[in-house]
Amino acid sequence: MSLYSSAVKRPIMTTLCFVAVAILGLFSLSSLPIDLYPDVETNTIMVMTTYQGASAQDIEQNVTRPLENALNAVNDLKHITSKSRENISLITLEFEYGKDIDVLTNDVRDKLDMVKSSLPDNSETPIIFKFSTDMIPIVMLSVQADESMPGLYKILDDGVVNPLARISGVGSVSISGAPKREIHVYVDPNRLEAYGLSVETIAQIIAAENRNIPGGSFDVGSDTYALRVQGEFTSADQMNNIVVGSRNGSNIYLRDVARVDDSLEERAQETFNDGRRGAMIVIQKQSGANSVEISDQVLKQLPSLQKRLPSDVKLDIIVDTSDNIRNTIDALVETVMYALLFVVIVVFAFLGRWRATLIITITIPISLIASFIYLAVTGNTLNIVSLSALSISIGMVVDDAIVVLENVTTHIERGADPKQAAINGTNEVAVSVVASTLTLIAVFFPLTLVTGMTGVLFRQLGWMVTIMMIISTVCALSLTPMLCSQLLRKNNRHGRFYNLLFTPINRGLDAFDNGYGKLLGRVVTHKGATIAVCVAIFIGSLWLVGRVGTEFFPTADDGRLRVNLELPIGTRVEIAKEVTRRLSDEWRSKYPEIKVLNYTTGQASSDNVYASLSDNGSHIVSMNIRLSDPGDRDRKITEIAALMRQDLESYPEFAKYQVNVGGMEGMGGQSSIDYEIYGYDFAETDSVARRLVRALREIKGAADVRISRSDYQPEYQVDFDREKLAMYGLNLQTAATALRNRINGALMSQFREDGEEYDIKVMYAPEHRTSIADIENILLYSAQGNSVRVKDVGEVVERFTPPTIERKDRERIITVSTVADGVPMSAIVEQSQKVIDAMELPAGINIQLAGSYEDQQDSFRDLLTLAVLIILLVYIVMAAQFESYTYPAIIMTSLLFAFSGVFIMLYITGHNLNVMSLIGAIMLIGIVVKNGIVLIDYISLNRERGMSIRRAVVDGGRSRLRPVVMTTLTTILGMVPMAVGTGQGSEMWRPMGVAVIGGLTFSTILTLLFVPTLYCLFAYVGVKRQRRGLRRRLTAARND
Amino acid sequence: MKSVLITFDQAYYERIIVTLDKLNCRGFTSWREVQGRGSHTGEPHYGTHAWPSMASAVITMVDDSRVEPLLRALKEMDDATPRLGLRAFVWNIEQSI
Repeated sequence: MSLYSSAVKRPIMTTLCFVAVAILGLFSLSSLPIDLYPDVETNTIMVMTTYQGASAQDIEQNVTRPLENALNAVNDLKHITSKSRENISLITLEFEYGKDIDVLTNDVRDKLDMVKSSLPDNSETPIIFKFSTDMIPIVMLSVQADESMPGLYKILDDGVVNPLARISGVGSVSISGAPKREIHVYVDPNRLEAYGLSVETIAQIIAAENRNIPGGSFDVGSDTYALRVQGEFTSADQMNNIVVGSRNGSNIYLRDVARVDDSLEERAQETFNDGRRGAMIVIQKQSGANSVEISDQVLKQLPSLQKRLPSDVKLDIIVDTSDNIRNTIDALVETVMYALLFVVIVVFAFLGRWRATLIITITIPISLIASFIYLAVTGNTLNIVSLSALSISIGMVVDDAIVVLENVTTHIERGADPKQAAINGTNEVAVSVVASTLTLIAVFFPLTLVTGMTGVLFRQLGWMVTIMMIISTVCALSLTPMLCSQLLRKNNRHGRFYNLLFTPINRGLDAFDNGYGKLLGRVVTHKGATIAVCVAIFIGSLWLVGRVGTEFFPTADDGRLRVNLELPIGTRVEIAKEVTRRLSDEWRSKYPEIKVLNYTTGQASSDNVYASLSDNGSHIVSMNIRLSDPGDRDRKITEIAALMRQDLESYPEFAKYQVNVGGMEGMGGQSSIDYEIYGYDFAETDSVARRLVRALREIKGAADVRISRSDYQPEYQVDFDREKLAMYGLNLQTAATALRNRINGALMSQFREDGEEYDIKVMYAPEHRTSIADIENILLYSAQGNSVRVKDVGEVVERFTPPTIERKDRERIITVSTVADGVPMSAIVEQSQKVIDAMELPAGINIQLAGSYEDQQDSFRDLLTLAVLIILLVYIVMAAQFESYTYPAIIMTSLLFAFSGVFIMLYITGHNLNVMSLIGAIMLIGIVVKNGIVLIDYISLNRERGMSIRRAVVDGGRSRLRPVVMTTLTTILGMVPMAVGTGQGSEMWRPMGVAVIGGLTFSTILTLLFVPTLYCLFAYVGVKRQRRGLRRRLTAARND
Repeated sequence: MKSVLITFDQAYYERIIVTLDKLNCRGFTSWREVQGRGSHTGEPHYGTHAWPSMASAVITMVDDSRVEPLLRALKEMDDATPRLGLRAFVWNIEQSI
């Protein structure tokens, strides 16, 4: 027994089956997390290795290169980039999309274990992070404090950071702006010299004194006692009284040669929230974790964390990225709802019966809800792509049901019993319903096979639409006939309201049918002219191809700006603070859109993960700005960013600045174009970069042009004479370590209080390390106790070094980057390519384009291959269905007009061709072809019924006009809310809506005229050929 | 004994079986799916792409007295829904076992 007859005969079973699907779907929906995109983030793992005191070049040679060489062997590696800067080596491993991050992490760890032994002794063990600096923090909290300020770090570390870090999926929680406590032992070099002591001796003595040592246990009578020596300092003052040596029989106390200073770290970052000093807590997520879930949990914990803090410490939210995601998804859900409403209205207007409308529209929620089961099972999220898939499908899932319903209605009208009509009516159209679904699946299923970044975006779309199509077909073949048999009646009488409403509608539709019939008759008579006009329109639209700009993703307005400011290198932090204060005051008064403005200055300590991974230094300021919601302001974020860039021009203090729009670069931010200059020699690559920057600055629309390599940092280097060192029994390492201990501080022991440990650093007092002479006069001691000054065994010279050495794929690189402001990315690429081609590059240096341009190129290439694959598949399905090579080719011509429509509409609305509009264009293939199928199918049916070619075409055209217009209208109206939406994030999907509407409208109008004309032409040719053959056979027979 | 051949659009099938039962015509032989078309206006029932509808046929052997009521019932049915198509033909049974 077939599906439809058993469905009609067992209505209860059928109903309950679909109810079960709906319940499962709704249950899945309730557990679906939301996100902006499917998991499109690159799998990034970072390896951070600190080597205190080493310069960028040392780090590159001794740490980065060995690590890179080892890590390069990890599987699925796409790019390996590194930054070697003072004290720190940062290696970022970028993997292919969609690989298991945990497996990759283990792989990386194994490789690190292998290479660990070849790293310098003093370097710390490499640390693996499952996230990258590119990942913007998902939540930023501001902290205000008054009297708790000195101890703020500890308060926040215990009370906020640790609980938040325990939330699963959180990558790191860092505090900036709250310096850590540190105990300094500031020694006076002159006194040390007088007593013959060294910094190392003092550090060792402090370490030796600051000890708790268990002495074992011993028995006294019947009891056992433990023996302990409790020597650890209980307060920093106690250190003053340590005996560090003796001279002439009297003790030398620490207080005689040094002063103990229990205070805060010397160099620390300071954070200002809306002009006031405070701290900032930055929460980053791990690769692949869900931002909204994490931020929900963070926000949920905040009130209870706040309660545990001292009363003057107040937490507040600076940035919550999940806010934007939530608003975006809400806006998209709204457009899906509108689409649903429009489709229902169209169906009702065309069918004119509420029962029929109910039968049709019930397939929409069922198909849509069923796709949630897929999302839940595969662990996906509700995001822009999956919701767009819903929006697109709404118009398509009703098509099958409409075909079935129409045929069943015909049977009922003819007098069949509804039950019989439902079974027989469905039976008649089942094959063509399945075939048209197959065509759509031929479009959407290949999307699931794409790899790379586009694959991640499209896989979900492909699966969702495929699943919804299959469910809607199953629905059309079971639920729809069942409901028809239960609800439809012959000759149901219409009420007065119906007559009032539908008489004009029906009259209008009839007139439309007749008008089209007449037009078609005329068009078919003037075949040559019609074809000429259509071809002219198509060729005309090709002219637009070059005029529509291309970009990767549209810029989304998420109300967030990140501003990076750099003063000339080496500028003291006080100056940076002053300028930034002025700037922030100016901006806050000038742009009322600014809700929160927060900035951080100064050098980060090595254990602040977030800050130390990003650029920092006394001359660098990083600013976070939150604007009001896009709906509440008139100026767009890109306009504000452009104005800010102008403002910054008038601040000569800033050597470099960058205004970042939106969250992630590329995805939703302004399109960035990176020019990667590969080459080993610093001087050569620098000059190429500077030439490129000059050229780029002249290109209109290229904003934020900047060089990744920062300016050369002046530094003093000590050139030791090895022979002289050897004469004094010293070697380079002991000499260098001695220097380091005096300036950076010798760290041998820690002060314990309340279970917390604070570093005790022994170093020269600040006043004794302010000049070159201070360095030259440093006394070095050999193992034999001989002392010699630095100036006697070496020379202090001033040199310049690049503060950060960047490498990509194990080659030195310097990146010049720019963002497209107000012009399409393609315009800048085109002009800059000319400049690069004209440039004469030194040997061994080459320039490559990267950034979102590279991503765009990759994606477009993937998508075009995909389009070709899809077109072939669709052709195969159609050819099989029609058992003809010609008809599918005729239908395929409507794709050309869809193509024209997309470009014309993009050109008119001023949108660019980007991944989102290409998604729309690819979906068009299926929808457009479907119209052609409906038309040709009916025309050939008419011919089989014995009509003449012309009559078959005109008649078929007229009777299929309504279904074609109806299904097209449902899809177009389903996309209208997307195309005109103004909600948050609507910039993202507007190009897609525009592309679908443009392509579909244009191709439908032309398909309705062009395809029948072409059909006529080919049919005549076919008939003539047949007749000729017949005649030839007849003459042959007569001759015999 | 007369034999009655009824050919009709398959939508009639159940109604015809019920009518036979009602008129106490027990024996019949049926073909659920047959193809054909009417002599005058009858739409082809081919089960093809162009003519997707199908016809069914029932042949029943009835006593002479039952032919009239049966034909009357069938005629009534056909008149109610003429577009579906229903025809009946009667001829004599010469012999049977």
